[in-house]
Amino acid sequence: MRIRVRRTGGFAGIERSAEVDTADPDLRSLAREVLAGGSDERRGVPDGFLYEIAIDGVTIRCCDPDLTAAQRTLITRVLKEGA
Amino acid sequence: MNPHTPVFCSIVPPHLLEHLARSSNPAVAAAARRTLIADASARTSRVLPLPGSAPTLAPADVGRPHRTVYDCERGTELPGVRVRAEGEDATGDSTVNRAYAGLGATFDLFLKAFGRDSIDGAGLPLLASVHYDENYGNAFWNGEQMVFGDGDDEIFLDFTLPVDVIGHELAHGFTQYTANLEYFSQSGALNESVSDVFGSLVKQYALGQGADQADWLIGEGLFHPNVQGTALRSMKAPGTAYDDDVLGKDPQPGHMDDYVRTSRDNGGVHINSGIPNHAFYLVATELGGKAWERPGQIWYDVMTGGTLAPETRFSEFAAATVAAAKARYGDGEEIQAVLKAWAAVGVPTD
Repeated sequence: MRIRVRRTGGFAGIERSAEVDTADPDLRSLAREVLAGGSDERRGVPDGFLYEIAIDGVTIRCCDPDLTAAQRTLITRVLKEGA
Repeated sequence: MNPHTPVFCSIVPPHLLEHLARSSNPAVAAAARRTLIADASARTSRVLPLPGSAPTLAPADVGRPHRTVYDCERGTELPGVRVRAEGEDATGDSTVNRAYAGLGATFDLFLKAFGRDSIDGAGLPLLASVHYDENYGNAFWNGEQMVFGDGDDEIFLDFTLPVDVIGHELAHGFTQYTANLEYFSQSGALNESVSDVFGSLVKQYALGQGADQADWLIGEGLFHPNVQGTALRSMKAPGTAYDDDVLGKDPQPGHMDDYVRTSRDNGGVHINSGIPNHAFYLVATELGGKAWERPGQIWYDVMTGGTLAPETRFSEFAAATVAAAKARYGDGEEIQAVLKAWAAVGVPTD
């Protein structure tokens, strides 16, 4: 499973992205949960981070501060572990 | 309508809000419902600055800040644990104390420079949550309060360090209660720029600096020592604040010729804000003296004048500054400085 996270916005407006191609069952489970939850189409709060999570080609959008626990954990792990 | 109601969703079309109000995510649904109610009320009063709340404060409290700082203890529940309220002694946590002081510095600027009682003009309590999340390299305004991360130990330090960052976040609240500029595209870049302008003015006012002494930087001291850069943005010279192997180069333009068209960052709101930022810098340095006096007053008059639409573009904002300069100062050097500044950044004023 290929998971890519792109983070834009934020006070600094500095973009960050990372991708993993993973067989880790925890990550795959989180990714399925995020996919099932769908996108939050709001524009986000001033200076809040905006996220695009692409999972095997399907893109989910969400933004701070109203991330679900699954979105938050998945974003954190991919940005940390991905390349 | 309670004027404290967050309006962060008001940029979303009503049909989408109605959809979101039925969302299975309770937080999303609640926010959408609140906004639908707030929007219906706001649409009828948009031509005027949002009215102040009913006078709930005792007369002795008017013109005094009402600050509360909360500690998220590295979690994401807002607002967190209350750790310092108005008038209470400093705690042993310098982040809490910096946030408290920064709220006070911002309150002071609005009161003493513009006669405005808090960011809504009606004594709004100022709330800040610190230590948000773990390794969180950001700060934001959630429609009701400020939220600060401790930095990520890699690129950013503690977001309460620069007082202009605190002023910037609270100025998002000021914008929310006044022109309510949509956080997207050109109006979003103006929203960002107004926060940089008033954030910088908070710092300049606190330090007693004139326009020629100010550094005109946003977020000076926020970068981790490993980063090659002095600040996040420069109003004096957009595009020069940092140039780092990892982060790349500061992407801000200072002229319309270099306006960046992008779908990211809500249409580049943190990028294209460099253009109106530089216009303000040019007005301030052309007029000289304290930037919160005539230049700040012109920008303040535009934001509170009730003439800006939420989707205002650069040229409309620029025209409004010309009108505000003329209304307050007549046909003097102020209007000339404003016209010259917008011409220099390539934004038409007619």
